[in-house]
Amino acid sequence: MTLTDPREALADQSNFIGYLVGLAGLGRVVHTLADGDRRSDPPPESDDFVHVLLGVASLGEGIERLANSTVAQPDPSVEAPPPASTTMRWLR
Amino acid sequence: MSPEVLIGMLAELERIRELTLNLIERETPRLLPAPPDEACGTERTVFDLLLGARRAVLGNPAAARGVHDLLVAEGHRYANTPDGARLRDALVASEAVENLRRVWETVSLNVLDGPAAPNAAPDAWADLLADAVMGHGLDDSILARLRPEGFA
Repeated sequence: MTLTDPREALADQSNFIGYLVGLAGLGRVVHTLADGDRRSDPPPESDDFVHVLLGVASLGEGIERLANSTVAQPDPSVEAPPPASTTMRWLR
Repeated sequence: MSPEVLIGMLAELERIRELTLNLIERETPRLLPAPPDEACGTERTVFDLLLGARRAVLGNPAAARGVHDLLVAEGHRYANTPDGARLRDALVASEAVENLRRVWETVSLNVLDGPAAPNAAPDAWADLLADAVMGHGLDDSILARLRPEGFA
């Protein structure tokens, strides 16, 4: 197999959804960290470390929004469902 | 040179990079500590995970810095939204975040912080490896006393 001769079955073996699920899980971990016990001393200013955590949380929330939007697709109240090819693409 | 040859060269360079990293780790035992005695189950899994994270950062400093900078930029963007600002304030005040920060600093040895040229390894990475290698070879008992414990 080469880049110019892709195999369709490889899509079934892709871990792409696994990556997304992992990132969404990390995003939830950040929220759990934020809900923990408060520091006894005065908190410092936010630094790069806190912004890295915020970045992970933001990615996680984006992925969850993506998942929620795909779940909403089969809603029967929607009169014009997306083309079958689009649905297949998301399923893969 | 054909693209096939160039890709072959890249693959070979990657192999050499990996072997060099192995050699550095063997020559500087403090960067690759032995697993704790009788560690098993969850404790051993966590130890392997932390060592893997250290190796990923020390072995790919430019890529790790790139990911770090992307996440920091996204974090700043998110912090400008109401939800992000609330989360930022909660994270800053959280004791668990402070503990996680200590874990991360111990694992990464802070090599991702400080100045770095675009798409290049951070200066702190080169400083750390130079210090670890030179400090190991120097073996000076007087200087060793001046070095704080855990400082590579």
